[in-house]
Amino acid sequence: MLHLKNIPQHPVFWVIVPLAMVLIPHLPRLPVWMIILLPLLFGWRLLAIVKPRLLPGKILLFLIIFPAVIILLFHYGTLLGKTAGTALLSLLLAIKLLESTQKRDYMLLIALSFFIIVTNFLFSQTIPTVVFMLISAIVLIMSLIFINQGDAPVSFRSRLKMSSLMLVQALPMMLILFVLFPRIPGPLWSLPEDSSSPRTGLSDTMSPGSISELIQSNEIAFRVQFKSEAPAQNSLYWRALVLWYFDGKTWEHGKPNLNPTPTLEGFDTPLSYTITLEPHDKKWLFALDMPSEIPENVSYTNNFLLRSESDIHSLYQYTVSSFLDYRIEQQLSAWERSAGLKLPEGANPRTVALGQQWRRQFKQPRDIVQHALENFNQQNFFYTLQPPATPGFDPVDQFLFTTRRGFCEHYASSFTVLMRAAGIPARIVLGYQGGTQNPLNNFYSVTQSDAHAWSEVWLEQEGWVRIDPTAAIAPNRIEQNLNAALAATENRPFHMRMNSGMLKQLKFYWDAIDNSWKQWVIGYDSKLQNQLLNTIFNRDIDYVELILFLITTLAVITLIIALFIFRPFSRNSLDPIQRLYGRFCKKLARKGLIRQDYEGPLDFACRAGSEFPADKNTINLITAIYINQRYRSRENTKQLNNMKQMIKKLRLSAS
Amino acid sequence: MSNGLPLVPDFITRLIKLWAEKRLPEPDQQTTLVRRRIYILPTRHGLTFFITLLVILTGAINYENSLGFMLSFLLGSIGFLGMIYTHENLNHLTLNTATTRPVFAGQPAHFPITLSSDKKHGFMNIQFQSRNGEAVSAHLEPLAADCQVQIPLNTEQRGWLELGEFKVFTEFPLGLFHAWSWNHLNTRCLVYPKPDEHPPHFDLSSQHSGQHASEQDGYDDFAGIREYQKGDAPNHLAWKAIARTRELQTKQFHAEVGDEIILSWYALPDNMDIERKLSVLCRWVLDADHHGLKYGLQLPGTQLAAGSGRHHRHLCLKSLALFSRS
Repeated sequence: MLHLKNIPQHPVFWVIVPLAMVLIPHLPRLPVWMIILLPLLFGWRLLAIVKPRLLPGKILLFLIIFPAVIILLFHYGTLLGKTAGTALLSLLLAIKLLESTQKRDYMLLIALSFFIIVTNFLFSQTIPTVVFMLISAIVLIMSLIFINQGDAPVSFRSRLKMSSLMLVQALPMMLILFVLFPRIPGPLWSLPEDSSSPRTGLSDTMSPGSISELIQSNEIAFRVQFKSEAPAQNSLYWRALVLWYFDGKTWEHGKPNLNPTPTLEGFDTPLSYTITLEPHDKKWLFALDMPSEIPENVSYTNNFLLRSESDIHSLYQYTVSSFLDYRIEQQLSAWERSAGLKLPEGANPRTVALGQQWRRQFKQPRDIVQHALENFNQQNFFYTLQPPATPGFDPVDQFLFTTRRGFCEHYASSFTVLMRAAGIPARIVLGYQGGTQNPLNNFYSVTQSDAHAWSEVWLEQEGWVRIDPTAAIAPNRIEQNLNAALAATENRPFHMRMNSGMLKQLKFYWDAIDNSWKQWVIGYDSKLQNQLLNTIFNRDIDYVELILFLITTLAVITLIIALFIFRPFSRNSLDPIQRLYGRFCKKLARKGLIRQDYEGPLDFACRAGSEFPADKNTINLITAIYINQRYRSRENTKQLNNMKQMIKKLRLSAS
Repeated sequence: MSNGLPLVPDFITRLIKLWAEKRLPEPDQQTTLVRRRIYILPTRHGLTFFITLLVILTGAINYENSLGFMLSFLLGSIGFLGMIYTHENLNHLTLNTATTRPVFAGQPAHFPITLSSDKKHGFMNIQFQSRNGEAVSAHLEPLAADCQVQIPLNTEQRGWLELGEFKVFTEFPLGLFHAWSWNHLNTRCLVYPKPDEHPPHFDLSSQHSGQHASEQDGYDDFAGIREYQKGDAPNHLAWKAIARTRELQTKQFHAEVGDEIILSWYALPDNMDIERKLSVLCRWVLDADHHGLKYGLQLPGTQLAAGSGRHHRHLCLKSLALFSRS
């Protein structure tokens, strides 16, 4: 017979509960068949609690695990790496569970559950993740207690209480270790490359619709802290990619063959700022037009772009300086001239024809640029997030002459094509424009919805000059933000609709908390640790001193916690009733009547009563209260007070 | 787990024990486990836990993953607290002896120990293990006055059996640490000789005290059949009745009122082994008691007048148990 109600009394149940719990955050990353398989295996093991003969043998287990691993291998192409490794680990744990019947198996599974928690941190390090970690830890400790309590009556509630208490006591030690444990910079060994899940963010190509899609996301791309006054909103052009090659529809970076030493002249004092970049799995770094001083371990390409040495898989912080008033590349190389003028044969003929017409019409390239921008501004062009589709081979023609509704990529693309057709070297720059300043901490948050594309044209004497055609059609986009630039009737992304009063304020709070979390917790590394120790000690300290400091602090906190658990100085180690009775015995002892070890309270009262007949009643009453309080009922303050008074009044005059 | 320690080879356990024995107080009726005598080591699970923690920490260092650091430090702190909790689960536990009940050699003796504490918190899953018995667990609930545990100890020989050194240990609450204390309590249990399974037939003719020597089979007067009870001699089983009812039955014999028998050492052959003689006498005492006879016991140097009842039986068995031992 099945006795399903017995299941929660079995240790296996208390192994499965936390195991299932720590696997939940991984579910979206697991293949569908595993999301079905894992609960089945868990259910199987649960059923086997009441029907032990359902436990599979070694051969059956092998028949499950072998094909499963093969399918996993085909699914991911590897068994290493974050995603595939986690899937494999989950699978092995579920199989191990099916052959677990002993305490040591359960203990192993619980240890490995902690390991599952940490694999989740490779994907997510948010505040909710940590809250989930703490809850999981409580449940896992509860399971440890359940497995080790034997037949002792420790209820679910006391397990919960004990495990929460342990967690609370562990937190201060954890914090000290977190802050003071010596942090070693850099990885110990190279990380296995991972076919990581796609992230929202800029891609290295641009085609119609590619940026307006990105706008839908409100995810943080990076945060900026300016060392001094922040520049005006309309000069916040965060540059990341330069695209040279156009196939009629899509822009790619091509294979630039540029000046080995780009020339940059700055006309103002460089602006210094620190960027905290969210992982985007790419090498490119963002900087304001035009970066002058670059951080260590970062290369500076000849397109004035910053490149990290390896892909950014975790939060990355760097400090850069930029000139906002600058001049670059007064000399144009032959390659740049040819690449900057190149257009695909036969594509977008009307646009090309228009460009060529302007070339004949205007003498100065400057005038051509001006005319193009005026053209956008004065003709019937619309700035919209939902441009009509421009299918076919000549999307630029369709946009310029038919639909006239587009987003920044349409304007940047058509403008650049026009310039090239008019004989002006031009290229596309991809990055972000603007950012939201959080009034709570003055950090700028640049989100995916700030993604932007603009152009650079090369002009005699001036070098490469930034021209943003979007500014001509929707100046609010540049002066303020996207939301202000869109028409009132525009169907805005969800995050832009949630932008009123209270919500905006809440968003700022959350953003500030999230920022501090990222700066101080996720971003806490050897550099920050050194900074912190410097402020504490007012000088540099080495590893030995750091370890000594860590041990001392830990010892102090341990002592405090241990005192809290041991309570050696607590007078409460005896019941108040026992203390009172002790006082009573002491009083009698002073009169020469000493209670013997073998003497029960009643016998002693009898002896005392015959010794002091005058106090016989009081002595009997005191003894009665003592026996009642000690052995029968719960503490009763009124009775205790009575007893106290009686002991005080005890005369004990010899008869 | 036997009497050994986790993760420690036996010879080191013995060395630790030698050292610990010097710290044991003189055996008494009562002992309180104090810090001085509570030892603690990680268990195998503790080691697994610690290795997991190290792997997580290494991963955290390599991936520069802050939350990985956080989790490994949290686990380290919890493991450390687990050590304190486990230690505290023995600390200030007071053990008191209580009266033991005699057993026959071969049966396990049970030494009742009363647990109490001046601490208010509970003591959970405390294991007690004598030098050769199974571990038994006990727990003292929070605020409870006391509770009792019976420590089993296998018996082989008759006589007084000292509880001797026993180990009190616990792995509660997390199972990561094994805290233990070796203890010594002044308590002993009387072990009666093992009742002989094939005793020689008791020969009434050897009785000289009996007034009814002519009625040689007076002892064997068949008085009826009753259900088998533990301790009944196998040669008194009523086989016919067993075959009929399929339940164990014993033939009951009836001795005439006033019959007194003396179970005598000297009735046994001289060449019989002393222990065997005591075993046989033990069996005879049990049989005689069982049949409600008045019986006396004669041993070299000891003479117990005929009597009956539980106390008399105990006296007889005790003198057998302690024969030439004291």
